[in-house]
Amino acid sequence: MSSQSNASPSTALPPPRSETGAVGWARANLFSAWHNSVLTILAGGAALLALWFGLKWAFFDADWTVVATVGGRFVIGNFNSGQACPSNNCFWRPQISLILVTGLLGMAWGYTGASVPRLIAILTAAAATLFAFLPYGLDRMGWDVRLLLLANPPALAAGWGLARFTPLGSLKWISILSAVFFLATLALLRGVPGIPGLYPVPVIYWGGLTLNLLLAGVGITLSLPLGIALALGRRGNLPVAKLLCIAFIEVFRGMPLITLLFMSQVLVPLAFPENFPQNSLFRAGVIITLFSGAYMAENIRGGLQALHAGQAEAARALGLPGWQTTSFILLPQAIRNVIPAIVGQFIGLFKDTSLVYIIGMLDIVEIGRTIIVGRPEYQGSAKEVFIFLAVVFWIFTYGMSYVSRNVEEQLGVGVR
Amino acid sequence: MIAKLPRGLTYDGIPIWRHARIIQWVLQIVSGVLVVTLVVWFLANIGNAIADRDIPYGFTFLGREYQTPIGEHFIPYESSDTFRYALMVAYTNTIFVSIIGVILATALGIFIGVARLSGNWIVSKLALAYVEFFRNVPLLVQLLFWLFIILALPPVREGYVIAGLLYINNSGISFPGPASGSLWTPAAWGALAAVSVLAGIAAHKLLARREVDTGKSSYPLLTACVLTVVLAAVSWLVVGAVAGEAPFVISPPEPQGRFGHIGGGFTIRAGLLVLLIGLVIYTAAYISEIVRAGIQSVSRGQVEAGRALGLSPMGSLRHVIFPQALRVIIPPTISQCLNLTKNSSLGVAVGYSDLTSVGLTMTQTAPAVSIFLIIMAAYLALSLTYSLIGNIYNRRISFVRR
Repeated sequence: MSSQSNASPSTALPPPRSETGAVGWARANLFSAWHNSVLTILAGGAALLALWFGLKWAFFDADWTVVATVGGRFVIGNFNSGQACPSNNCFWRPQISLILVTGLLGMAWGYTGASVPRLIAILTAAAATLFAFLPYGLDRMGWDVRLLLLANPPALAAGWGLARFTPLGSLKWISILSAVFFLATLALLRGVPGIPGLYPVPVIYWGGLTLNLLLAGVGITLSLPLGIALALGRRGNLPVAKLLCIAFIEVFRGMPLITLLFMSQVLVPLAFPENFPQNSLFRAGVIITLFSGAYMAENIRGGLQALHAGQAEAARALGLPGWQTTSFILLPQAIRNVIPAIVGQFIGLFKDTSLVYIIGMLDIVEIGRTIIVGRPEYQGSAKEVFIFLAVVFWIFTYGMSYVSRNVEEQLGVGVR
Repeated sequence: MIAKLPRGLTYDGIPIWRHARIIQWVLQIVSGVLVVTLVVWFLANIGNAIADRDIPYGFTFLGREYQTPIGEHFIPYESSDTFRYALMVAYTNTIFVSIIGVILATALGIFIGVARLSGNWIVSKLALAYVEFFRNVPLLVQLLFWLFIILALPPVREGYVIAGLLYINNSGISFPGPASGSLWTPAAWGALAAVSVLAGIAAHKLLARREVDTGKSSYPLLTACVLTVVLAAVSWLVVGAVAGEAPFVISPPEPQGRFGHIGGGFTIRAGLLVLLIGLVIYTAAYISEIVRAGIQSVSRGQVEAGRALGLSPMGSLRHVIFPQALRVIIPPTISQCLNLTKNSSLGVAVGYSDLTSVGLTMTQTAPAVSIFLIIMAAYLALSLTYSLIGNIYNRRISFVRR
């Protein structure tokens, strides 16, 4: 190779052994100077010790029976308990919505053909299959639930095939189906009076991870459009709209979510007529969406501000009317610029769903807390429960940031 | 410019109902009217509810006795104090956590952020693991984890004692600290000490400028430190002489009584301890990412120029990189500090009497609407103060545009 360069006609010697391979890497990254070597030994020692004790605890000292025996409650809360569902035969209802979600994921994979939807879809179906073969029952999980869990891989395949080989494989149809499936999930969970299998379950019994995911899904879907609208209103030249947007954003950003949630529980029922249909889950969803929307608005405003004024001027010069300039020129670029901030906000929203305990909803964290406090046999298992919860949340949030990094790469952010 | 218009048309012949300006105004008026109507409807409903369901309202409750103990308080409080005073106590608790938490989280965040950029592979990967873990787990889960860890410690009588000075047990951590009979002598000395520090800083600035001007060193740092210490010592003596006692004495913690109440020294109780640990670790993860982005935003040439001038790596970090990185770091850090303040409302989950937690308790005996308004105003005031400080600082350090 070096013979092609005319500067050095003779064959170049290979680099010295001490500068390449593992030795060279260690010299460059771990032992480049005496203080660096000390740091390496100290930090490496601390890391090894932590790893040793952590693994020893996780595999030998920790008692994971609490997670094993009440696993089902972490997933669906009290949904299948005696008060909520007298026949204790309601576990299949969240399972059906899981199958619907898996099918949608399969459609997303089939439609995009990308590696990230594939990974998520396959992981979801694989996890569901794994749960079907658990040696113990999750909260009175019968054979019917295990069969439904096994239906996830076929649902995935069906979704993939539908998106691949039928006209359903378009963004429009996937969006419509998502909305339909969401309503179906609500109907399944809420129940329909009069239909034998669908015994109505009040929302106060909804809980566990299902509740967190439901709230996060609604919040994520609605807070982005809300944030865009607020950001545009705040940057626009309409004084009344601007004032309203600023007031909304500042009030919701200035208060802790936990205070807002609690006050929604106390105040919102007063603010509507006495017989107005409403419930605590609906209020929580609305408050989380509004709260997140206010933060989202500031993220998107940042993205809009970072755009060069020439973009809007060029669009106007081409004759695009104002709303087309905004929606086809400015917003796509602005949103692309602030994807990390937006996904960070989504992650924050998902984490914030754990605060609904303040209005008496039993989300996955509150389930864990009530089990430790309420059941004497699990009083010593606090560490296990909270580390389990941390891992569950971590999987979802880390997954979200993984997806965001991939989307950024695909859109070529920061690459010219 | 606007010529006389034919009826129903604007000057360029566009019908009124399609003119952008007019559509915008109509939309604005409609949305404004809608919002106002909605708000009026809500208020009317609340008014009806108050009238029909006999719900208390108004602010007269502020003068009543609260008659509920508050777990933690930094200014004296008794159950016979009023609601107004109790709210103030809770507010000082929130502010206290906020200030201490912000200081600690910033320090830890800078440390982790610099570690993230270390050339040492293990150190930077450890910092990465820290950030990825603590940022991705809800604060509530972390707080409850720490809470149950602290609650699982042995009770006071059987707790850990280190060298007879540090007491660690399930009611908190106690260490030697100031103990004083009255509140005002330490406060007076603290104020004078703060003045001494300011005088020291001023002296340092003056001497440093003289050194730059004349080239003769008069040891600015040493002089300033000596001045500060001497002034603080003199004010100690003065306050002591006026009050007839030392402003405070450092006393070790001592267990008292059969059930192990710890007297003397300074005790950080479990609720505050858990809240501080959780908030600092959680917020530091965010701040460290901001610090990392800030340092990375300084161009490589600046680092190399600093090294070429003969500055040590630490010296070039301190004198060349950091001052420039601060411009990127400060605004998002301020918003993180604000988040920390708002997150301190999770004190309600770990038994710390912050504003939200006391407010929630008060709604049982006082009108919820009024308490909601007070809490809202209090948090908005805090967040405005933070943005004000941030904006002033930001203006001082931002580039001077020529």
